[in-house]
Amino acid sequence: MNHAKNTNSNRERFLSFSLGTEEYAVPLLAVREVIALPEYTPVPYTPSYFLGIMNLRGQVISIMDLRQKLGIKPGVDTETAVIICDLNGASIGVVVDSVNTVLNPETADLSEKPEIQSNRPTDYITGVYRKDKKLILFLDLSRSLSLEDHAAVRKSAEVRAPKAA
Amino acid sequence: MDDFEKELKVGFLEEASQLLADAEQCFLALESNPQDGAMLDKIFRLAHNLKGSSKAVGFEDIGVFTHRFESFLLKVKNGEIPVSSSVISLLLVCNDHIRSMVDILKADLDARIDSSALMEQIESASHGAQAEEGAESADEEPTGLQAVHDVHEEEVFEAPTPEEVELIRLVNHSFDVGVAEVAPVRESAPVVKTVAAPATAPDESIRVSLARLEKLINSVGELVILQTVLREQSMTSNAHLLRKTIHQMGKVTKEVQDISMSLRMVPLKQTFQKMQRIVRDTSGMLGKKVGLVTSGDDTELDKTVLENISDPLVHLIRNACDHGIESPESRLASGKPESGTVKLNAYHQSGKLVIEVKDDGGGIDGVKLTAKAIEKGILKPGTVLPEQEAIHLIFHPGFSTKSQVTEVSGRGVGMDVVKTNIEALQGEVQVETVLGEGTTFKVVLPLTLAIIDGMVVQNEGCRFVVPLSHVHETLKPSSDDVKHTTTMGEVLLLRGENLPLYRLNTLLGHKKSALKAANEQIAMVIRYAGNPFAVLVDDILGQQQVVIKEVGQEIQSLKWMSGSAILGDGKPAIIIEMNELVKPSRKGAA
Repeated sequence: MNHAKNTNSNRERFLSFSLGTEEYAVPLLAVREVIALPEYTPVPYTPSYFLGIMNLRGQVISIMDLRQKLGIKPGVDTETAVIICDLNGASIGVVVDSVNTVLNPETADLSEKPEIQSNRPTDYITGVYRKDKKLILFLDLSRSLSLEDHAAVRKSAEVRAPKAA
Repeated sequence: MDDFEKELKVGFLEEASQLLADAEQCFLALESNPQDGAMLDKIFRLAHNLKGSSKAVGFEDIGVFTHRFESFLLKVKNGEIPVSSSVISLLLVCNDHIRSMVDILKADLDARIDSSALMEQIESASHGAQAEEGAESADEEPTGLQAVHDVHEEEVFEAPTPEEVELIRLVNHSFDVGVAEVAPVRESAPVVKTVAAPATAPDESIRVSLARLEKLINSVGELVILQTVLREQSMTSNAHLLRKTIHQMGKVTKEVQDISMSLRMVPLKQTFQKMQRIVRDTSGMLGKKVGLVTSGDDTELDKTVLENISDPLVHLIRNACDHGIESPESRLASGKPESGTVKLNAYHQSGKLVIEVKDDGGGIDGVKLTAKAIEKGILKPGTVLPEQEAIHLIFHPGFSTKSQVTEVSGRGVGMDVVKTNIEALQGEVQVETVLGEGTTFKVVLPLTLAIIDGMVVQNEGCRFVVPLSHVHETLKPSSDDVKHTTTMGEVLLLRGENLPLYRLNTLLGHKKSALKAANEQIAMVIRYAGNPFAVLVDDILGQQQVVIKEVGQEIQSLKWMSGSAILGDGKPAIIIEMNELVKPSRKGAA
């Protein structure tokens, strides 16, 4: 927060990325680094968007596919990048189609998310930004991933049917 | 002063520094959020700990001061004094004072400390405030106290609430006690300086935070992995010098790894010494005569393990005094010496640390236990258990053979908690008992939690690590050894035993269609806790030491996954806790 304030006249900066044909963004300060999709080890009994665990320079972190999580069809011919995010002190790898740019939006271009009747929970969308006729949705990552995933993982662990071999 | 007392004192001072550091953080947190009751509780606990241990090891000066300090805190905690910044400042100054006392004592264990310094100055400050004028000239006071002085004056000036008056009264009160004790302030100050300087020389150690150590160990672990990769790569190379260098580097790397691991190791000595007191207090309370004999207290183990083993040990010791050792009368009657003995022994055994708590008491009566369990509804009436199983009833939650709840044991935190705590450390508890002769509890612990010996297995192209300590044996079963039953699943016939046989495939939720014939796979027999069973895996790739890496919070709820490890090629593998993995299947089968 402080960095943004010091360097950029009270405006928070965001990292935008593509999920399929759509564009999303997360606060830049939550981003530790962006890497290419590494080899990862799948973890059984986790939801399908939970790809597994990966080795980030000696640290084992979870890696999740944000596209699958949000139900977005992956784009074709995209490079597939992993954004390493810092969520409450823990790192998590988030798979996206491609990382685009750093946004420094004017407050005037930001708006609240419209109230939409929808079956999907949208509480992880923190705002909407219009730029050159493009619509960019701002995400609260820990809400869209971590907390909910926690429950999801636990659930799928409990649900596993007792199958004696 | 004998060595024992000295150890205790030095240990206390180390602990006190930590407590004070914590307390300071709490005070500051409290200042930003004065309504935080939990924080106050924590501060109170810290102060209470400090008071208790300082008195126990014989630092009367700290004891007296912290006692005052604690009673003041109690008022704050009970809301009799509102949390204002003046109160916080006062608390912080007191904290600093205790810290300086600790520092002085570190330099000279016999130093007498003059707490009247602080008390006098606080008193003068509050007096000044009370009299509605700063009678004493403020510039004579140290800067830290200046703040208190000023704030006091201001606040009391504007609103002399009853609480504030109470505060002043209290502070005055503590002053009285302090002054009664000793010498003037000015003289004590130079003494500190002269003693402190030479004291740094004999103690040539530095305190390093565990977090930094962990970082180092992590990096070293990474280094070891990279070294392994490098060595494998160099095998194909013909460059002689390169291979030689890599070989030498391997040696150095191993050494660095050993050293970095040893940094986390601390001797059991202090923990054992604490037990002396526990035995004394417990036996005194029970009116029994019990002596504690310790041996092997220079045995070292990982700091994390040590911290977590203290409470279970205390419980085992108390238990030995309470349930194990008989009363003096019955001891004499059965021809034993009047005074009982509890032996605390630690030693290394095949890469594990063993701590034995041995008493020469009455032993555990399996029949009695069974009867008690039936009475409590834990077992069905008429159940007869084999001796060993009956004895394990003591680990059953909610089980206590003492009919009365005493202060010493039987408060609900029972042996089941001991067992759970020890198992959480990857350890186990064993009980050996002979009626009339005594009981031995053996706590077997891994030396460190950071590294384990693992067996790397392969299944469906994925590699997993199984802690070697969990694997009893591995074998290639012939198709005659594996029987399929519809009702009980697969059973492995092993030397007269019938073991439930699971397939890792199925356990991990893969489809059944991919099942291979059992004789193409390898069975691992797991029997480290609970009922033994066997698990079929595709292949065993080898054994190696792995550094345990924690996984993210989001998957920590998967109990069968005790962590992860980075294998030689840099890819992470899951460490499987087989017992947890088969649990749901067990329930299904039962």
